[in-house]
Amino acid sequence: MPLEHVTLLCFFASYLLALVLELTQFVRASQLTRWGAILGTAAGLVAHTAYLLVRSRDSQLPPLLSSAHDWLLVLSWLIVVMLLTILLWNRHSAVALFGLPPVVVMVGAARFVSQSTDRILVDLYGWKMLHASLWVLGIAGCCAAFIISLMYLVQHRRLKRKQAEPSELHLFSLERLSRWNWWAVIVSVPLITLALMTGVFLALWSRGSDQPVRLVQTGFVLTAALWLTMAVLFGWLVTARHPGGRIVAWRTIWACGLLLLMLLAQQLFIEGGIHGNMLGRDAPQRQGRLTRLPPEALLAVEGPPLSSGRIAVALRDGPVRTPLDSTRRRFDPEESRP
Amino acid sequence: MNLQVVYCNHQTAELALRERLAFASETQLQQAYEELRRRFPQSESVLLSTCNRVELYTAQEEPGDAPSPRQLAQFLSEFHRVPLDDFLGDLLVQTGADAVRHLFEVACSIDSMVLGESQIVAQVKSAYERATRYEANGPLTNALFQRALQVSARVRHETRLAEGRVSIASVAVGEFARSIFDRFSDKTVLVIGAGEMAEETLRYLQTEGVGRVLVCNRSLDRAVALAAAFQGEARPWEELDHWLGEADLIVAATGASQPIVTRERLAAVRQRTGQRPLFLLDLGAPRDIEAAVGDIDDEVFLYDIDDLEATCERNRRLRADEIRKARAIIAEETQTFLHDVYHQATGPVVKRLREEWHSISRSEMDQLFRKLPHLDEGEREAIERCIERIVNKLLHPPLQTIREEAREGTPHNLLEVVRRLFHLHD
Repeated sequence: MPLEHVTLLCFFASYLLALVLELTQFVRASQLTRWGAILGTAAGLVAHTAYLLVRSRDSQLPPLLSSAHDWLLVLSWLIVVMLLTILLWNRHSAVALFGLPPVVVMVGAARFVSQSTDRILVDLYGWKMLHASLWVLGIAGCCAAFIISLMYLVQHRRLKRKQAEPSELHLFSLERLSRWNWWAVIVSVPLITLALMTGVFLALWSRGSDQPVRLVQTGFVLTAALWLTMAVLFGWLVTARHPGGRIVAWRTIWACGLLLLMLLAQQLFIEGGIHGNMLGRDAPQRQGRLTRLPPEALLAVEGPPLSSGRIAVALRDGPVRTPLDSTRRRFDPEESRP
Repeated sequence: MNLQVVYCNHQTAELALRERLAFASETQLQQAYEELRRRFPQSESVLLSTCNRVELYTAQEEPGDAPSPRQLAQFLSEFHRVPLDDFLGDLLVQTGADAVRHLFEVACSIDSMVLGESQIVAQVKSAYERATRYEANGPLTNALFQRALQVSARVRHETRLAEGRVSIASVAVGEFARSIFDRFSDKTVLVIGAGEMAEETLRYLQTEGVGRVLVCNRSLDRAVALAAAFQGEARPWEELDHWLGEADLIVAATGASQPIVTRERLAAVRQRTGQRPLFLLDLGAPRDIEAAVGDIDDEVFLYDIDDLEATCERNRRLRADEIRKARAIIAEETQTFLHDVYHQATGPVVKRLREEWHSISRSEMDQLFRKLPHLDEGEREAIERCIERIVNKLLHPPLQTIREEAREGTPHNLLEVVRRLFHLHD
């Protein structure tokens, strides 16, 4: 099957199927369904990877920089890779039960967020790539901490209630979950901090450009406040003497959960995500579709006719970029006209 | 056979009740046997008191000497000063063949919480030896307990009951401690007590590769001996508070009648050490660790014997085939044992009857041969065989009847009738 035919629905369905198979363990524990869930997740990952590769190839941008849609998919891809790694290492663990729901939510949410290429990401490529990478890795760490903390609380509750471990809900030891949680927070907070710092730098840099980014707006302030919560959690984890594992788990869930919710809400309800909200009102264009490129930017149009959807646009200054907001959309010749 | 057992176990009674009825110390057992002898002088008795059960076996030659289950319950109530109403509903009674089968199942660990556990064999043996020491047992209980140990050995040899996790410590550590700690090589284990259960626990923890073993016991000598056997360190009883704070896993298995680790005591220790995860396993009955200790903070995980019930039940379901095999062996052994016991009871009468009849036939043949001296050797042998067959055929119906009656128990009435009918006197 050509990779172009892989759609978001393919891997969304795979992950959903894997989750349902994992849930059937509660009805009837079976090795067959457990393997089915692992294979479903693996199949989803293959389709997921193919989808991101095609989008990256078509937009000629790394998925991290191309759109909020791709950014969310990269984040969910990272979580699936982590899940599968753990599952291959210990296939009896019920980690998929906790990891797949966020993945399904993210992939599902990706369907509704902006698929357009960020105009503001065209310049300062290296810095923006660094900013997006730090951000996605930091948030992936946050997701991991959130999932690990959930598992910790479930395991802790079972042990406190003196219940035998159900075979369908085999979890790692509290000591291990606690250690993983510590590392997830300790690694993700500096990454998010660096991501915010590069973001602020880029916002300041943008003041001199025709697309200034405002820092004083609700989305950014809220994100910064939640980052502060994470930083406080980080500081407490580093300095506390024998912090109670359950308290750590609860605080992690609150801090990471709110940050993830905030991020998802911004992607879903603000056009273009946080960057869309941060663009100044006087910006000549809203972030998102490069629908009105100056005519002089179009130096050459190569390849088959425009309607084929495989257009390459050479910008006068800078690398080759495509103005398409989504590789899944057919190119509209009207859009590139001045 | 006039055998009965009155008991409560982990299936019928909560640990809170079992610990009130338990015979925890040697002194208590000695006093209990004295009291039993005083109350039921004609009765043999054996007390089996473990963390999972309190059982009182009695046996008598004559049915009229048997104490009633109510009298035995009354004894338990008055000895432990526990109102009868508090536990009467949790007591079970088995008699005759059922009592034999029950003891065999107990000795084979089928009745144990942890299927296949080996401690019960030592506990049954120890109960029997104590009864002997305090002169409470007799021929019936001797035969019964000795056979129970043989059956236990046979079941362990012929089935796979004793494979896998077969100690309470292994189940507790495997099910709960492994879910708390990732590994034990960097952990400190404090064992309070130096008895058999403590030893069994240490044996298992050693296979788990536990890092540091501390043994704390009232008698330092016993602690030293146990610690030495497991490359551990013995610690004086006075330093218990200090070592409670050092340990990651605490296993309490003493015979104390009052809790050793109280909430206040451990809370004070936790105040000093902070909230590190702490796994506590209480194998004592009566309990050595107060139940409220589990509520001190989120990182204290306390388990007692009854908390392992669900896990043990799951293991039991997984090994249903082995249980079936063991039960078949036990049924066969119960029949054999009863047959042997009843044979012993009917044996003297049967033997006398045979001897009497053969003696009569012998004397009659001697008289006949004296009257017929011309008979040659061959003719004499033919007559002897003929008369022997007649005697055997005449003996067959009464002996067969005695055997059949003996399958259901000692046929005291029938034996008396046979004695009187055939004038069989000692």
